Amino acid sequence: MIEARALLEEIRKNNVTHVVGVPDNGSRRLYELLREDFRIQAIPVTHEGEAFSLASGLFLGGKNPLILIQNTGFLESGDAFRGTAFNMGLPLVMLIGYRGYESMCAGAEPVDTAATFFEPTLKAWNIPYYMMHTTSERHLISTAFSKAAEASLPVAVIYPGECV
Amino acid sequence: MIMLDKYVCLEKLAARRSNEIVVTTMGVAAPWARLSDGPLDFALVESAMGQGPPFALGLALAQPGRRILLLNGDGSTLMCLGALITIAQNPPDNLTIVITENGTYEVIGNCPIPGAECVNFETLARGAGFSQVYTIESDDDFDVLLPLHFEGEGTRIFIWKILRAGEPVPKPQPYIRERARRLRRALVGK
Repeated sequence: MIEARALLEEIRKNNVTHVVGVPDNGSRRLYELLREDFRIQAIPVTHEGEAFSLASGLFLGGKNPLILIQNTGFLESGDAFRGTAFNMGLPLVMLIGYRGYESMCAGAEPVDTAATFFEPTLKAWNIPYYMMHTTSERHLISTAFSKAAEASLPVAVIYPGECV
Repeated sequence: MIMLDKYVCLEKLAARRSNEIVVTTMGVAAPWARLSDGPLDFALVESAMGQGPPFALGLALAQPGRRILLLNGDGSTLMCLGALITIAQNPPDNLTIVITENGTYEVIGNCPIPGAECVNFETLARGAGFSQVYTIESDDDFDVLLPLHFEGEGTRIFIWKILRAGEPVPKPQPYIRERARRLRRALVGK
């Protein structure tokens, strides 16, 4: 499990101005904290594809957004991701919940195909990503911001389970 | 029914425009670029169809001192209808959305959009939560409402009922990455 409050601190350290996305079981607690945070504006969208185009507009206008979605929404967002953030070469960081991760362990009951499609898709789309298993690995968010700036491309931090 | 000629509307809009950012999509992108193609003119046409409204919202939130004019097609609007609700949650004062309604996907040869004969964009916009929604069908109404495209509080939506035309798929130059850099440089200097 990952502590939402610690993640929020890491996000703040990177001067994030807006968090854009769709809440899910994994990110619900983080969204709750964001609603109380006066330094970062959370913008819920109706569909994850919007998160990429909205964040792209924010970035071009001088802000520093972070995208917070689940892997199912990421898969849904393909053309929006490609046609905005990726093609524009924007250094956006995506924090993506890894639905179904546990179901890929040996002997586990399969939940659905969200997990099995997820990392192969990240690789196919040439998206650099970091796997964050625990709170102690929250520095990977800062690493992702550095990598995104260096590569001028979106970078993902993916995490299993629920933020608490 | 009287309909608008989009080329005439765009010329009138361009004549009045000063420092606004103009975001265009699909059948409007090329004709607008023939009128104005500077750093503040942004054609969002690398597909990503439907993403004009959230992209324009991002610009509007980031640049509260500058108006964003989004010229979006009816097919593009339908492709991301939820974006109207996203914007209506907290509609910025500096955002103007134009929906050019001709009932077709123009750039692929005017194939009809779903619901072309019955969809009512004003009703959709009002249902999403917008109160300042104007459907324009005549040149006289267009001339009266043109100034409102550039002023006022709260996001305004204008539905231009336009005649069908025959624009091909837009292919703006330079590539979108350079256009994005150009826009950001103009807005924030880096």
